[in-house]
Amino acid sequence: MTATQPSEIRAIELYDNAGKDFVEAQRWHGVVDKNLADWEAEWMPELQRRLKLLNQQNVERRFWPQSRHWDWRAKLKDIEKRLANQSFALVCNGMTQAMMTVDTTKRARLEGQQTQHLVYVDYLEAAPWNRGDIAGDPPRYRGCGTELILAAVELSITEGFKGRVGLHSLPQANRFYANRCGMTDLGQDKTYENLRYFEITLEQAQVFIGKGKGA
Amino acid sequence: MPKKTMTLNLTEAEMAVLEELCEKKDLSKTVLLRQALRLYQQVDERLSRGDTLFFEDQSKREKAEIMML
Repeated sequence: MTATQPSEIRAIELYDNAGKDFVEAQRWHGVVDKNLADWEAEWMPELQRRLKLLNQQNVERRFWPQSRHWDWRAKLKDIEKRLANQSFALVCNGMTQAMMTVDTTKRARLEGQQTQHLVYVDYLEAAPWNRGDIAGDPPRYRGCGTELILAAVELSITEGFKGRVGLHSLPQANRFYANRCGMTDLGQDKTYENLRYFEITLEQAQVFIGKGKGA
Repeated sequence: MPKKTMTLNLTEAEMAVLEELCEKKDLSKTVLLRQALRLYQQVDERLSRGDTLFFEDQSKREKAEIMML
């Protein structure tokens, strides 16, 4: 059964594109039932609406959001009792804006930190209205991805993993992880659907934290 | 997240291994034991489902099954 309360709530800020200013938001440690309800009742219909628009505009399916088949309820059910996995959600204006799950048992691949423990980001997704790549609408809140990667870096530090974070990126997010997050691109991983694998070192993590909000 | 404290009794040999691993992995004893528990749970879950755990050396084409209690 999914938890109803996050284990920790931290105040953060997201950039509101409509109001052109930063607004108060929260980072929840632990995706809870309310987040899954938001995903089901708000994200899914909005995603379907945008997919319909893409289809009407004859946009090829390979340009549709590659995370469109993700089932967050199933993902959370899979990991709910596993000590190795943790989850985070961003909430703003009473609505879930982004979610992430991580695995703390994976090892680093980058030379210099190879085989050391890291926080591996299994899944990270922003609400459809916060993505600039679906049907041309500007994102409502900016900085969701950055905030969640920051959460992964901070968890890595808390866990004693020195800020090391790794992930396989969907092609549409490659530039975000390389440029915005400053992660090292280790190239395509033949053992993981040819997705590019990115990793962040202690030094890169320090730079990333120093950048603060990257809205 | 609230945490609970426990006392752990280890033999000298066990403590030596723990300290060696902590040094090698640059982790504290608490973090290392927490990692061990996470991995144990993960492995146990897979074995309970009927999966088998292997170590594989691709260069030598050797595969060894790990026996788990």
